Amino acid sequence: MLQFLSFSRKTLSNNLSIYIKTNTGNTLSVDLDPTWDIKEVKEFVAPQLGLKPGEVKIIFAGKELGDNISISECDLGQQSTLHAIKITKKPNPPTLNNAVIEESDEGKPLCETLSDLSFSNDDSEEGPTEQRKVHFFVYCPTCKALKNGKLRVRCHFCKSGAFTVHSDPQNWNDVLQSKQITGLCENNPELCANVLNNKEPTFAEFYFKCSEHTSLGETDEAVPLYLIRPNLKEVPCLACADINETVFVFPCKEGHVTCLDCFRQYCTTRLRERQFWQHPEFGYTLACPAGCPDSFIQEIHHFRLLSESQYTQYQRFATEEYVLRSGGVLCPQPGCGMGILADPECTKITCINGCGYVFCRLCLQGFHIGECEAPEGDVGAPGDCSYNVDPTRAAEARWDEASKVAIKVLTKPCPKCRTPTERDGYKRLGNGWKSLNEDERKKYFDRAKAIGLQHKKEFPVGENPTGLQKITIDSFELFPSTEIFSKRRKIYSL
Amino acid sequence: MANIAAQRIRREFKEVIKSEEVAKCAIKVELLNDSYTELKGEITGPPDTAYEGGTFVLEIKVPETYPFNPPKVRFITKIWHPNISSVTGAICLDILKDQWAAAMTLRTVLLSLQALLSAAEPDDPQDAVVAKQFKENIEMFQMTARHWTNVYAGGPHVNKECDDKIKRLVDMGVEEHQARVALSSYNWDIERATEQLFS
Repeated sequence: MLQFLSFSRKTLSNNLSIYIKTNTGNTLSVDLDPTWDIKEVKEFVAPQLGLKPGEVKIIFAGKELGDNISISECDLGQQSTLHAIKITKKPNPPTLNNAVIEESDEGKPLCETLSDLSFSNDDSEEGPTEQRKVHFFVYCPTCKALKNGKLRVRCHFCKSGAFTVHSDPQNWNDVLQSKQITGLCENNPELCANVLNNKEPTFAEFYFKCSEHTSLGETDEAVPLYLIRPNLKEVPCLACADINETVFVFPCKEGHVTCLDCFRQYCTTRLRERQFWQHPEFGYTLACPAGCPDSFIQEIHHFRLLSESQYTQYQRFATEEYVLRSGGVLCPQPGCGMGILADPECTKITCINGCGYVFCRLCLQGFHIGECEAPEGDVGAPGDCSYNVDPTRAAEARWDEASKVAIKVLTKPCPKCRTPTERDGYKRLGNGWKSLNEDERKKYFDRAKAIGLQHKKEFPVGENPTGLQKITIDSFELFPSTEIFSKRRKIYSL
Repeated sequence: MANIAAQRIRREFKEVIKSEEVAKCAIKVELLNDSYTELKGEITGPPDTAYEGGTFVLEIKVPETYPFNPPKVRFITKIWHPNISSVTGAICLDILKDQWAAAMTLRTVLLSLQALLSAAEPDDPQDAVVAKQFKENIEMFQMTARHWTNVYAGGPHVNKECDDKIKRLVDMGVEEHQARVALSSYNWDIERATEQLFS
C-alpha cells in the first residue's frame, strides 16, 4: 500500500527496480530514481520498515553509503540489492560523522574509491594520472561472453551482503585470495563473531557480477578474468605491437602484454597443435608466449575468449588429457572417444555412458578372452612420435599392391616386352601384344589360344581368382579400391 | 588472422631497417612480396671466424601463425657449418624450433644466426659430415668453411690448393659443386673423393 502511495507520489521516468534487504529477513522491492541521494532513499525506505530515516544505514558492496551520495554514482544495476540495516549502536554525533565523510572516502561506494591504477600491480610508476573508475572484466555465464564486471562484497562466513569492509582492497591479490580484507558483518555480527569464537576477525569475500544484464539474484555471479585489464600505461602488444585499450597481461614476472586478438590467435595456434599444457593444479593451460618460466594462466576461464567451437575443442582436449593422465582410457570406437576411468586391473571395459562398446583395455580391440592378438609392445608409447606399423597389414594396404595382385592373376606378360596382357583375352591378343611382329604374333597366337582356353576352364565366367568382380584390365588405373578395402575390412573385423 | 602476422612483420621490418646493425651492414632484410610472407635476409660472416667477409643470403618464410610460431628460415647461400645443412641450407637452431618465443623478432633471429656462425654446436648437428670434421679436425673444418665462404659468399680468402683439386675433378667430368662437396667431405683427400664420386 505504501509502495503504491509512493508510486503515485513520484512518477519515475527511468527508475531502478531495487531490492532492499534488511537484517530482519525482510526483502522489499522498490523503485528508486537514480537521481536521488542516499538520504532520500532512507526517507523513502525507513517508513516501510517502520523506522525513522536516521535509524537506517544503507550498505552496498562492502560500504555504508553516505547521505550525500546519489544512486547513479553507486554502479547499481536493475534488480540489484541494497542492504538496509537498523543502527543498533548509538549513532556518532552528527557533526563528527559529517566531517569524516567530507575528508575521506568514507561513505562513498566501492566503485568510486577503487581506481584502475591500484589494480595494475605496479606501483613504480608515479605521476598525476586521472583517477578513473576501476574496470573489471568477467566471463558472464548468462551472456556467455566477456563483459564488464562489478565487484561485490559479502561476509566470508554467512555470505550476507550486509557487510562493510575495514579497508579497500588494494590489488588483485586482496580480491582473489580469501581472508585478505577484514570487515564487519552487519547482518548478524554476534553470530558470525561467536561461531568464529572471536579467534579471527570476520573477513570479506569478494565476488563479481556481470554489469551488462539485469541481476538475476544473489547467485548470479561471473568469473573474474583478472588477466584482462585496461591498458592505462599504453603498453604495446607483444605480438602485433599495437596499443590497445584492453589487454591480456600474462602472469609472468615481466607481465608481458598482448592484445585480446593476439591472445586469441596465440590460443588458436597452440590449440590447433594441441600444445596446451596439462598443469597439475590449474588444468589445461598455456604459459606466456615470450617463454617466461612459471607463467601459466591459472584461471582457465580466460580461454572463454576463444570462439564457441574452439572452446568446445579445448574442453575435449583438456578432458582427454586429464583422462589419460589419470590412467584412464578413451573409447576406441570411431566417433565415440568417451573417456573412461576404470580400475587399473580391469581389462574388460564397457563404454557405459557412451556407445556401449565393450573392449579390451590392453589392445583396444573388442573384448576377448585370453591373450591379446597383437602383443602390447606393438602399441607405441605415448610421446613416441613414430607410428608403429604392422608389416603384414602395411604390405596389403598398399594402393598399387592390390592392382599388382589382380594384374598378376589376370594377365600374362607379353613374351617380348613383358607388358601384362589379359590371360583369357586371346580374342584381344591381336591388339594386346603390340610389340610382336606378324610372325611372332602368329606363333604366340596359337599358343595363347590354347592357354587361354585352358584358363577359361579353370576360371569359369563370373568367377575370377582374386575374388574381385567387375574388373577389366582397361580400368586398372581407376581401380575400385573401395571395394577391395571393404573386403579387407570384413576380414579384419572377423 | 593473418593480418597480425603481416602487421607484426611490417613493424619488425622497420625495426631492422632502423637498427644499428644495418648501419654497420651486419644484417639486412628485403621484402619479396606485398603480403609480408616471404622475405630475403642477409647476414655478414662474423669477424674472426671462417665466415668473415662473406655475405650469406637467407630465405625467410613467415607462417600465418607468426609470431606464435617461428619463421621458417634457411640459408640460400651454400655454407659449411655443423648446424646448417650443406645440401639444403636447413638450420638447426633451438629458437627456430621449440625455443621460439613470441617476443623474438626478425632482428633477433638474424643476430642469433650470426651468433650461430661464430659459435657452432657440433653436438647438436644438422650436417653430420661437417660436425664430424669439426670435432675431429678443426683446422680442416676452418679451411673448408673459409673456402666455401670464398666461393659462395664472396669471402676474401682464396685457397689455391682447394681450387686446384676441384679443377682436377672437374676435368674428369664432375660437376664443380659436387666435386667440392666430395672433397670437403673427405678432408680434401682427392683419391677418396674420386672413389666416392665414381663408385
